[in-house]
Amino acid sequence: MSLDLAINLLGQTLVLMPEHALFWMDARTLLVADTHWGKAATFRAAGFAVPGGTTAEGLNRLDHAIDRTGAGRIIFLGDFLHAREGRVPGTMDALAQWRHTRPALDLILVRGNHDKRAGDPGEELGIVCANPPVSDGPFSFAHFPGGRPGTYVMSGHLHPAIRLSGRGLQRARLPCFWVRADHIVLPAFGDFTGKADVKPDAGDRLFAIGGGAVVEIEQKVVRKPRGPLRR
Amino acid sequence: MPRARKLVGDPDLPAALREWFAERGWTPFGYQRDVWRAYQAGASGLVHAATGTGKTLAAWLGPLIEEMKENPGATRSRGAPPLRVLWITPLRALAADSAEAIALPLQATGLPWTVETRTGDTAPAVRARQSKRLPTALITTPESLSLLLTRDDSATLFTDLRLVVIDEWHELIGTKRGVQVELALARLRTLQPGVRTWGLSATLGNLEEAAATLMGTSAEKAVLVRGVEPKSVVVDALIPSVVERFPWAGHLTTTMLPQVVDAIEEGTSAIVFTNTRSQTEIWYQAILEARPDWAGSIALHHGSLDRETRTWVEEGLRTGALRCVVATSSLDLGVDFSPVDRVLQVGSPKGVARLLQRAGRSGHRPGAVSRVTCVPTLILELIEVAAARDGIDSGSVESRLPVERPLDVLVQHLVTAALGGGFYPVELLQEVKRTRAYADLRDDEWQWVLDFVTRGGDALQAYPEYSKVVVENGRYFVDDDDVARRHRMAIGTIVDDAQITVQYLGGGRLGSVEEAFIARLTPGDKFIFAGKPLEFVRVRDMKAWVRRAKSSKGAVPRWLGSRLPLSAALAAALRARLEEAEQGIYRGPEMEAVRPILEVQARWSKIPAADEILIESVSSREGHHLFFFPFEGRLVHEGLAALFAYRIARLVPITFSMSSNDWGFELLSPDRAPIELALEEGLLDPTALFEDIPASLNATEMARRQFREIARVAGLVFPGYPRSGKSARQLQASSGLFFDVFRRYDPGNQLVTQAHREVLERQLESSRIGRTLDRLSKSRAIVTHPERTPPFAFPLLVDRTRERVSSESVPERLRKMQLTLERAAG
Repeated sequence: MSLDLAINLLGQTLVLMPEHALFWMDARTLLVADTHWGKAATFRAAGFAVPGGTTAEGLNRLDHAIDRTGAGRIIFLGDFLHAREGRVPGTMDALAQWRHTRPALDLILVRGNHDKRAGDPGEELGIVCANPPVSDGPFSFAHFPGGRPGTYVMSGHLHPAIRLSGRGLQRARLPCFWVRADHIVLPAFGDFTGKADVKPDAGDRLFAIGGGAVVEIEQKVVRKPRGPLRR
Repeated sequence: MPRARKLVGDPDLPAALREWFAERGWTPFGYQRDVWRAYQAGASGLVHAATGTGKTLAAWLGPLIEEMKENPGATRSRGAPPLRVLWITPLRALAADSAEAIALPLQATGLPWTVETRTGDTAPAVRARQSKRLPTALITTPESLSLLLTRDDSATLFTDLRLVVIDEWHELIGTKRGVQVELALARLRTLQPGVRTWGLSATLGNLEEAAATLMGTSAEKAVLVRGVEPKSVVVDALIPSVVERFPWAGHLTTTMLPQVVDAIEEGTSAIVFTNTRSQTEIWYQAILEARPDWAGSIALHHGSLDRETRTWVEEGLRTGALRCVVATSSLDLGVDFSPVDRVLQVGSPKGVARLLQRAGRSGHRPGAVSRVTCVPTLILELIEVAAARDGIDSGSVESRLPVERPLDVLVQHLVTAALGGGFYPVELLQEVKRTRAYADLRDDEWQWVLDFVTRGGDALQAYPEYSKVVVENGRYFVDDDDVARRHRMAIGTIVDDAQITVQYLGGGRLGSVEEAFIARLTPGDKFIFAGKPLEFVRVRDMKAWVRRAKSSKGAVPRWLGSRLPLSAALAAALRARLEEAEQGIYRGPEMEAVRPILEVQARWSKIPAADEILIESVSSREGHHLFFFPFEGRLVHEGLAALFAYRIARLVPITFSMSSNDWGFELLSPDRAPIELALEEGLLDPTALFEDIPASLNATEMARRQFREIARVAGLVFPGYPRSGKSARQLQASSGLFFDVFRRYDPGNQLVTQAHREVLERQLESSRIGRTLDRLSKSRAIVTHPERTPPFAFPLLVDRTRERVSSESVPERLRKMQLTLERAAG
């Protein structure tokens, strides 16, 4: 049983991975959104006790995704660093060390809203930073979701999640890939990040990450929005 | 205040106060004299009496008499003496009332004392003045007192303090705010060793413990003074006229409305109590629709309304200008509303003490009887009314147990102490251990809390960027203004979940509502709040902006955390009533009224006997339902539901969703659960409870939810306040995210441990679960297979708030589930 799930878009193979990453197979490119590196450190610096370990976990997961796919390039879809206050030696050294073990990898960052205030990653990381849109082949890459004429957009920003329900009043809330007509929204990569529920349209496809696998979710019945208690 | 025996002459009471009493046609009660004498003798104590029987005067006149004896010639020209009396009240809203009540006899004495309040509502100018000089008597809340105690000069503020009064102690004792009071008392005793403490409380099942908690570990014993005997209390119920026609699960709101309106009309002024704020809104609307001519003389009162509105309503009750007020527990406390002569309780009374307290809201006229009329919202609640009356007759009043060793409160206290000039751990530990809450604090726990505020806990030692409290030469203090500011803003939020102000676009403020409710609204949505139909416009600056809607059709906000469980005392009385019914005995009008429904229950399934546990197995479109009926109250049932789901899921891969109420609980699964096998394998076994309960907790979200309060108190989450600026956005994270990250990266975190402990001890009352299992394991399990859902099970079937337990893998579950996609609010 494969844990990944491959879809075909514009003749290209896209592998949706439980590592919260997307692998564009034809271009050997890994797409990762909303890493928010240094978020825990930002909190600690402000006097909120968040345990350490989130950066190491994230880098491990990233390594795993690279090793499983043999990717030669990573495009970060914005919000690479969380905040200026999070640029502490502990976190930045860990990132630099990781880069040191992967010198040949091409790294590109398409800037997002957090990057504006947090600033670009340091030169030692060797990341090419650019404002959106960045294009390659049939795709363009941006932080904010939304379509753009003549291209298919890969984006992040939302930290999408879906709420599921089923027989026996079962419920689950899971991060997801949200595939729309003219753009895709990736789940947030960072572990210490929140989630936002998506509002899919009828033609959208949704792929949830749960229990270490990616599962497509059929949109069978769309109920009325769950509003407040009706009388 | 009721009239008391007429006493002629009174050697204890100075002439001015004697005259004051005489002018009102009052004479002091014997118990009030007892308190005054005990106070003069230097004693501390606890006064317990029903609301409206003069507890305030009992506590307040002591220091006045003392002063008049010490300074017979004191006059206003000499200026007010410094702080002498601290008066702690649980609610901001009560502070002004209390100030008024204690100012009256003070004026009669001619003493030059000043009385002021200091709460979160106090204006900055007044605060500034108070910072220079406190009044002779200060009325404040636990939170405001904590902040006051952290000031550098706190030692000099309290040099003349002689008395601390803790009003409505029964409201505080079972809560973390009660612990905050304990810590404040310990600090005050350090600063001023001779200070006397008097608590005022309604009747409790554990008064000795309540009194001892006030005294902490000090050798002095509190004097327990019993106030006047409660007036006689009458409990009756509105019986639906034709019971057989009522669906047993349907809400009776509209059906009962004419009877409720008639009952209100009987009196001159009525309070209609409900159990939740949303019920308050619903009933207010319904009564107004039935009697549009009452517009203007009917009002609603609950904790989410704007303070001015509440004050206006309270004033209307006091003067008798309002015919009827629909209210929640926000009107349980506070001074008298003498004109009130009719009290109705909508929905289950939930507890004996609670019903007594509410009944006591009526009949303040001399010789009057307190009467409360219960209005069932579900027909079977009539049995709970009968049970509550049994409880009152037998005097089974509930206890409120003090909170033990909450580390989140200690974390907050340490930061507070570090802010206020800093602390030395050895000294602070001694003081903290003088409270009853932390008397048994372990060294490792103390060390962990110290580490947590300085380094963030063991797991953080390698993170130099963490700073909250810093240490220099052994002194712990805060040197970061942002940390200080955020702490001061957050300290008052022990009680509140994230609240959003509801405001008209034109400017008028209506009150505040939980953020979770607003988050589900889309611009244009209609909802009812503060008795008004509103249209939601947008959220900006931490405010929900609304405009008046034309139609009154709309949703009513659903406030969280308002589901009060049935008390143990009432649950026992309920079981006794059902046991009678099982033998065909139906005593009283309530039991006669529900008889047809209990007979349906007996016909379709069974009314369990005292030595039986009823399990109903029912199939429906939704799946397979197991209903269990231990009749122990919702909290115990939530724990049992998680435990039973966990035990069955160990036998076969299965996924359950659970719901619980005061009568029983339901396990719902897509596939049939092997209940017979589970019973054979020891489903009801009371052994291994202490391994199984924590394991079953991990499978549910309960601990994660309990962590919300802990994260707030310990200052982990930052709600983002109006003035906190843009940078605050990067510091927002939910308590759930914190819980997950702690559990994963710092499993030894004591706050996570505390969340589990709180769920076990406080939420699920694990000792009661143990006792219940003991009882159940000796019972015969009766499994019935009704074709239709019987009356007992119906309310559970329709309850949609659920916990879940699964022993299947997530991808497997996702594939097996017939998935329907739920749209988020949009």
